[in-house]
Amino acid sequence: MAAAPTAGASPHDIAVVGWAQTPMVRRTDKSETQLLLDVITDALTPLGLTRADVDFTCLGSCDYITGQAFSFVSNLDAIGAWPPKRDSHVEMDGAWALYEAWLRLHEGDIEIAVVTGSGRSSTGDPSLIYPMEMDPYFLAPLGADPLTFAALQARAVIAAGIADERSMAEVAVRSRGTGDVDALLAEDFLRPPLRRHDVPPITDGAAAMVLATGDRARQLVERPAYVTGFDHRTECHNPSYRALDDSPSTRIAAEAAGLGDAPVEVAELQAAFTHEELLLRRVLGLGDGVSVNPSGGALRANPIMATGLCRIGYAADHIFGGGNRALAHATSGPCLQQNLVCILEGRS
Amino acid sequence: MTRFVESTITFPYKRSLGPVVGAFMTALTERRILGIRCDDRVIVPPLEWDPATGRELPHEFVEVGPAATVESWTWVPAPTEQHPLDRPFAFAFVRLDGASTPLLHAVDAGTPDAMAEGMRVAPRWRGTRVGRIDDIACFVPGETPTTEGEDTGASEEPVTRMDYLASITYRNPVPAAADRAAAASRDRRLLGLRCPVCNEVYAGGKGYCPIDSVELGPECEVDLPHTGTITNFAVVTPVQYPGQTETEPFARVFVLLDGTDVIIPYATVFELPADQVRVGLRVDAVWASPAEEVDDAGGMGGSWGSLLGWIPNGEPDVEDPDLVNRIF
Repeated sequence: MAAAPTAGASPHDIAVVGWAQTPMVRRTDKSETQLLLDVITDALTPLGLTRADVDFTCLGSCDYITGQAFSFVSNLDAIGAWPPKRDSHVEMDGAWALYEAWLRLHEGDIEIAVVTGSGRSSTGDPSLIYPMEMDPYFLAPLGADPLTFAALQARAVIAAGIADERSMAEVAVRSRGTGDVDALLAEDFLRPPLRRHDVPPITDGAAAMVLATGDRARQLVERPAYVTGFDHRTECHNPSYRALDDSPSTRIAAEAAGLGDAPVEVAELQAAFTHEELLLRRVLGLGDGVSVNPSGGALRANPIMATGLCRIGYAADHIFGGGNRALAHATSGPCLQQNLVCILEGRS
Repeated sequence: MTRFVESTITFPYKRSLGPVVGAFMTALTERRILGIRCDDRVIVPPLEWDPATGRELPHEFVEVGPAATVESWTWVPAPTEQHPLDRPFAFAFVRLDGASTPLLHAVDAGTPDAMAEGMRVAPRWRGTRVGRIDDIACFVPGETPTTEGEDTGASEEPVTRMDYLASITYRNPVPAAADRAAAASRDRRLLGLRCPVCNEVYAGGKGYCPIDSVELGPECEVDLPHTGTITNFAVVTPVQYPGQTETEPFARVFVLLDGTDVIIPYATVFELPADQVRVGLRVDAVWASPAEEVDDAGGMGGSWGSLLGWIPNGEPDVEDPDLVNRIF
């Protein structure tokens, strides 16, 4: 396998220079294209850029969620694709769209890229849609749904001593900034060992992010958030074959992204379920000194296909605000199947 | 108030199973459960490759079970239509005797209090088995397999394919511009929206300009002519997939409206055999009668409401070699 470019190998610094997100709501009246029209404008305008300045776009979305084949074709209407643009699409969270844009910018011939993640989860019933994306022979015919997989992983994480019901409730209270741990633990199980507070909300929303290279990044903003490490790894698709109390793909991605090279102040983790945050903290070796999910994370807003990109956005906000080093994590698939780690750094 | 429309999409998949999953499914019809040897382990359900390394595995099958041990479980208090049981049940990782990996399946235990790690379960087989994972209706507490109703026996042929019907119901908002276009069509008006920036006009309720990325509101509305010229077309020979209602070849045409740059795409043409459709043909709009039910939900091609399609108007063809290029 050809090695992906590593930061430092390229003569071009690549940085996040801005991002925007739509209001995160339970159900929006807007189509996905309308969400993107708004959010791309909101990301570009503060930088003094227009769509004409954008050299490359990559959109992350999912036809299964939208309920329309080739829904990304309609979404192209939001990028101002005339005259024709360099464009790509990933059927993944916008965090992976960002990865593709980062690779593309390494070629060095263009300066500005826009990536998006967008989804309207309210369009369908997630408990009925996601089983269809599982293993088609052994899992989909059983209607194996995301809550079931999360509950089974939570049990494994608890059995390994990495979490317990109380520490999970504490994650929920801290993330949402509301609730009382004892009161939450008195609630009935939704899917044992998970209670309502352990699971994410259903959210409609989109995010857009602007990347720029080298001098252009420094011209656009005072303190670009440089991408100094970026990697993603995947595990076997069927949780039957995995150790659910571990996340080796996260560990390998973090090592490859250089997490261990210097401390991070902030970690934004795409943990849709409370136990996932506790497992990821353990796997990434994040100590008490690291502020985890100051944004409230996916437990506060979970716009599928944008949740991961928002993590990178919040990590970039930390750098824009004067921070030195932040980690962003995104995930995809049942029980943290595929994991992406992005390291952002500021420079004095 | 935004209007939402509900639509259901079904995908009747027929999946090839291959030599390993096929052997597993065939064995299910015989009320046997197979794993595959992977070094010193037995992987259940079996894969064609080692999940850790991707190495292809020799087809060395090992019969496992029939009883199993619950390794982990959760309780489903309100099953969905996709779940194997219509009453509360457990989803569990059950490790079949002799297996190295757990299989996800349902356990019919009555109440969550009856579930525990380490409990012993056995399959309850369906009487009629077709070679699907749900030939095992579920697992039940105990050591002894059971069969529901009359046993109709094993498959006579190896199972090579599996049916899987995916069906999803969606609830989507109808954009305001699409609603206005559909409403105007009931008055036999063909509404366009003119972009104030580039002056391009869009029909079909497209409420934004894809060039300038600006929203187009009611102030941008213009009335479009009801006469045009076919610029291009395709004749579709229907394949009889489920849901296809057409049986004979039919045409889909692109119509350039007179005096405009507006193309109506993928339109129906009436009273013209498919083999006589041609570029340059002059056509008039065909409207639904007021009493006729029309699909006003719109779709990717646009929201056309009562504009049903186009019909030859008898005018001489337009001779223009560039016409064929106009599909946008």
